[in-house]
Amino acid sequence: MRLQFHRTLYAGTAIDAALGRFAHLANTRFDRSETPEYFVVEVSASSPARSRAVAHELANFALGLTIEQGGPDR
Amino acid sequence: MSESLLGMPPGRVDADVGDASVTLTVDATVYPLPAVYAAAYCFIARCYVLLDRGDGDTLRVVLTGKQPMDAAALRALVGEFGNELLASAWRREITRQNRGLIESVTMQAFGGAMGPPSLDDLEAFDFTDEPFDDPLGIAQSWEEKYRKPKPAGDPEAP
Amino acid sequence: MSRPMSATAGLDTGGYPAFFRFRELPGGRVVVTSIEGEWIVLSPEDFRAYVHGTVDRQGELHRRLVERNLVREGYDARRAGETYRRRKRFVHSGPNLHLIVVTLRCNETCVYCHASRADLDAVHTDMTIETAERTVDLILRTTSPHVTIEFQGGEPLVNFPVVQHIVEYATARNRGLGKQLEFTMVSNLALMDEAKLQWLLAHRVQLCTSIDGPKGLHDKQRKLPTLSAYDAAQPWIARINDAYREAGLDPTLYHVEALLTTTKETLERWREVVDTYVALGCRALFLRPVDPFGFAEKTRRIVEYPREDYLAYYRRAVDYIIELNRQGVEILERYAAIFLTKILTGDDPNFLDIRSPGGAGIGQLAYNYDGTIYSSDEGRMLGAMGDPTFVIGDVRTSRYRDVVAHPTIRAMAIASNLEGQPDCVDCPYVPFCGTQPEHNHKTLGTMMGRMRESSMCAVHKGIQDFLFEKLATADDETLAILHRWTTIRPREHFLQPAGVSAIEPT
Repeated sequence: MRLQFHRTLYAGTAIDAALGRFAHLANTRFDRSETPEYFVVEVSASSPARSRAVAHELANFALGLTIEQGGPDR
Repeated sequence: MSESLLGMPPGRVDADVGDASVTLTVDATVYPLPAVYAAAYCFIARCYVLLDRGDGDTLRVVLTGKQPMDAAALRALVGEFGNELLASAWRREITRQNRGLIESVTMQAFGGAMGPPSLDDLEAFDFTDEPFDDPLGIAQSWEEKYRKPKPAGDPEAP
Repeated sequence: MSRPMSATAGLDTGGYPAFFRFRELPGGRVVVTSIEGEWIVLSPEDFRAYVHGTVDRQGELHRRLVERNLVREGYDARRAGETYRRRKRFVHSGPNLHLIVVTLRCNETCVYCHASRADLDAVHTDMTIETAERTVDLILRTTSPHVTIEFQGGEPLVNFPVVQHIVEYATARNRGLGKQLEFTMVSNLALMDEAKLQWLLAHRVQLCTSIDGPKGLHDKQRKLPTLSAYDAAQPWIARINDAYREAGLDPTLYHVEALLTTTKETLERWREVVDTYVALGCRALFLRPVDPFGFAEKTRRIVEYPREDYLAYYRRAVDYIIELNRQGVEILERYAAIFLTKILTGDDPNFLDIRSPGGAGIGQLAYNYDGTIYSSDEGRMLGAMGDPTFVIGDVRTSRYRDVVAHPTIRAMAIASNLEGQPDCVDCPYVPFCGTQPEHNHKTLGTMMGRMRESSMCAVHKGIQDFLFEKLATADDETLAILHRWTTIRPREHFLQPAGVSAIEPT
């Protein structure tokens, strides 16, 4: 599942921190890339349902960290 | 598949019941980003929240149930999010207006509750922690700031 | 402070009213309050004259408005500041109420309490002596000169040795500190015996119990395996009240206090509830609605009710209590007494759930049997339900200043400051009111809460509507009764003997 985090809404450091916390998950791959507007994370797990669940949790985690630090990186 | 929810304006609120998700389009000139963050933060324990930019001055908020949700449950979720969003936007403005009063009462409450630090507290204080960046050297002593550099090769040179 | 002035935005006020907030009462009268809590109840006509500045400057209404500092011309800013400071004086010292859960074990099973109890064989939920001592050490670091340690459970009598140790240890540690130290125990009294009672009386531990109404209702809501819970408590209430009398203590001041939990079934039985409390010799009845902590969704449907039903019950019961007072029976309703003290005396009784900012962490702390520290007992109950949001430390590892300034406590202080709350900033009751972040968190998913959806706000507003209507319309005898309810007489007998020097604990 592909997640797109808008650069003006999410902190790149928060996304990296979230990826760090999720890196231990077995049989799950996270491919990070960037476009001029977005941080992009492709989540691949053992099944589409699991990819979806992990992606949603990752997005929540990244959003929580972004808000706790007061918004995108300056 | 996107569909409208009963009682919700299409284009502003679109649901995908099969995916247990609903997308709100929020006017950022009415609901500033900090208010959207505040509302979103309240909801991340209950559902999945994803933010995005929409057309013009709009933000898109995607709420997805952690469990399957029917149209009525999605309508309740988005309704409550809307209420929280409005409260957050209004609270932000009120807090700005009443900041002096809130800060003064809060400072007194914590000053009163904490009291002065004890010797134990001071002993535990980390004085090595850098308090702030000091590029102009304001916090440096005169001797530190203006002393001559030691000759090269001096093992004690800084 | 521009918000409440919007009440008159676009109106030609003639510059007459000072800063005010207002609310129309159900009968059409209008409550007007100032930022510092001066108040007046006006007829619709007088309110219009006040807002438009057309009040006769030689008339009685003008005199009353000036007397209440509600007129811009001649506004006494110094008086307003002093009144405001007096209302907020609780912010100058730290937690004074410390709830210790000495065990989760309980001999009773109550319909509204699941998370706060364990079966009698769950001895692992007993507080140890070592944890108890660390708890007391932390409590006595508070900056408050008054300290009340309240024993809760579970049933505290199940772990009585630890209760005894805490009383003796805290009293000894307080020698030299000079704090005004009191102990209170909330017990269902079913496990009381004469030896325990003599020890509690000798050590001046105030005793409170729970009575949910007449015997049938009480026993239905609070179950003992083989006995009637009511029959187990009632003789001890009488015995303790007798003991106070035998000790020469004034029975109007010294008697067992009882706590009521209002469930759906209580609502129609308001008269029986009041009569039961009077018959038990109680001088106060706290008509508390059931709170949302500690029970499952299935139970909620059995015990919960719409808040308008609760308010109808409240009005009926308080009218009946006033009627009994007219007949010479001295009993008050606690909610009314709290609000009336704020409204009529300009003082604040520091009831921790009804103040701004709220008392979580900075006015009270709760200590679980295992040493975990919570913002309040409500925070602890949420913790028992699996929500650790309000955990703020551990008695073995946390420093006092880190506990009271914990980030969660800071957030709660901001969240419970009504000057930052939508709706509250426009409400005339803000000088007298309060919100509870734990309640908001549980019922609305955010510590801040949304007052228009808050059942606690509905209760507070409804009670204050009722009281202001009473203050505006009651005869002199009723007003005298309501004023009497604001009289606070300290129970000095329960203060522990202490030294006088004020040195910090080590």
